[in-house]
Amino acid sequence: MKALEVQNLTKFYPKFTLKGVSFDVEEGHIVGLIGRNGAGKSTTLKGILRLISAEGDVKVFGKDINTEEEAVKKEIGYVGGGFRFYPLKTLSAIKSVYKNFFSEWNEDKYQNYLIKFSLAEDKKVKDLSEGMKVKFAIALALSHGARLLIMDEPTSGLDPISREEFCDIIIELIKSERVSVLFSTHVTGDLMRIADDIVYISDGNVLADMSLKELLSKYKVAHFDSEKQAENFEVIGLKPVKEGFEGLVKADLKDDGYIYEEATIDKIMIHLEAEGRGLC
Amino acid sequence: MLNLINKEFKLCVHPTNFVFLFFAALLLVPNYPYEVVFFFSSLSMFFYCLTSRENNDLQFTCSLPVKKGNIPIARIFTSAVFQVVLIIFCLLTSIIKCSLFPAEMIINQAGISANFALVGNGAIMLGIFNLIFFPRYFKNPDRIGTTFVLSSAVLFIMVIIFIVLRWAMPMYSEVLNGPNAENTLSKVIYLLIGLMLYAVMTYASCKLSVKNFLKVDL
Repeated sequence: MKALEVQNLTKFYPKFTLKGVSFDVEEGHIVGLIGRNGAGKSTTLKGILRLISAEGDVKVFGKDINTEEEAVKKEIGYVGGGFRFYPLKTLSAIKSVYKNFFSEWNEDKYQNYLIKFSLAEDKKVKDLSEGMKVKFAIALALSHGARLLIMDEPTSGLDPISREEFCDIIIELIKSERVSVLFSTHVTGDLMRIADDIVYISDGNVLADMSLKELLSKYKVAHFDSEKQAENFEVIGLKPVKEGFEGLVKADLKDDGYIYEEATIDKIMIHLEAEGRGLC
Repeated sequence: MLNLINKEFKLCVHPTNFVFLFFAALLLVPNYPYEVVFFFSSLSMFFYCLTSRENNDLQFTCSLPVKKGNIPIARIFTSAVFQVVLIIFCLLTSIIKCSLFPAEMIINQAGISANFALVGNGAIMLGIFNLIFFPRYFKNPDRIGTTFVLSSAVLFIMVIIFIVLRWAMPMYSEVLNGPNAENTLSKVIYLLIGLMLYAVMTYASCKLSVKNFLKVDL
């Protein structure tokens, strides 16, 4: 079953357009929404949640958000870059209001998450570290039985250890709760570890919507001593690096003695953006 | 809707929403432009919505399982609760003042007396405030300053108009002025008209606010 279906999501701004974004999130999958700053990741997530008035269809577990807005939002746990709300309120004050919106609220589960994440309910939001804010948002989302987590840059601002911890939590949730996750990030190292699928957005368009393995298997990174040497190949996004030049080549290119390395999401993004084109 | 209103009271309302209710006591002050009490109420609504903006409240609320269109209704309803309480407090204060003070002390040299008609004026002012402030606020929640300046300027003009009417128009200076015991029926009818206008304008404010908020990008 599909946890999320996004069809033709479109939003016009004076200087930016989200151009008919379509993709799915399979149940139990972790999907990374990637793209450079300003590519349309946050606009896509806001469009899904109706924080902005975008055109297009959004279905969550088969329910249309346009006709069943409340039911759809009950299935979703939104983690918008940590917890940026009510900095002067205590966690208990926020929870006491939040839980009323969810008939499926599980207080025992919430208390267990507080213990697990070492969160003190009498603390104010402003006193939490960025990592703790993300954990609080996750605790709220999972205690009301959200089956789809939508996260907007949840790991930005986190140190490497906190990011690792965040990835561990997500992997555990997938195993124990079978939640589905869509999260936008430009810290692609996290996705290399946990993502099943990748949706790559550039300038408001979906450039790629496929499994991580498939994306990584499409390319390899080639190193050349000079630009002239690279002219013999179909190189994508050739750019100078510390020693010579680097670009993407198709993975099925015959090995002919040049230095190749496995492509990463970072490298694919960098060279495709440098080339200014979509996948081939 | 009840959960949304509960959220407004527990997470959003500003302390001045409660404090300014007690400014109804200003009706006991002799020779004072009593319509200003209703102006203070509008100030507390500004603080309420400003706090909401600083807390990113609208974004938080939109992510909850609620219809986006219900969010403005909950906020305006909560504001209306405070406004109605203020109206009741002002009515009670005017009744107390008219019962305890001699008639010559009821006459106000700065405007209309603290009586039922004054509360009618206040209800009209609050209705106009709701009609201007909330639809503009829900059209662009980030630009609350200009919205408040515009709506408070209109309220200020209303205060001046009511003061001028008290001196220039016999209906205000003779029939609607003075203690509640004089021309009571006229004063009560004027109060009811004020309340009716308040209800109609607040209802229109809800409709316009919902329409605007559904188009807003947070």
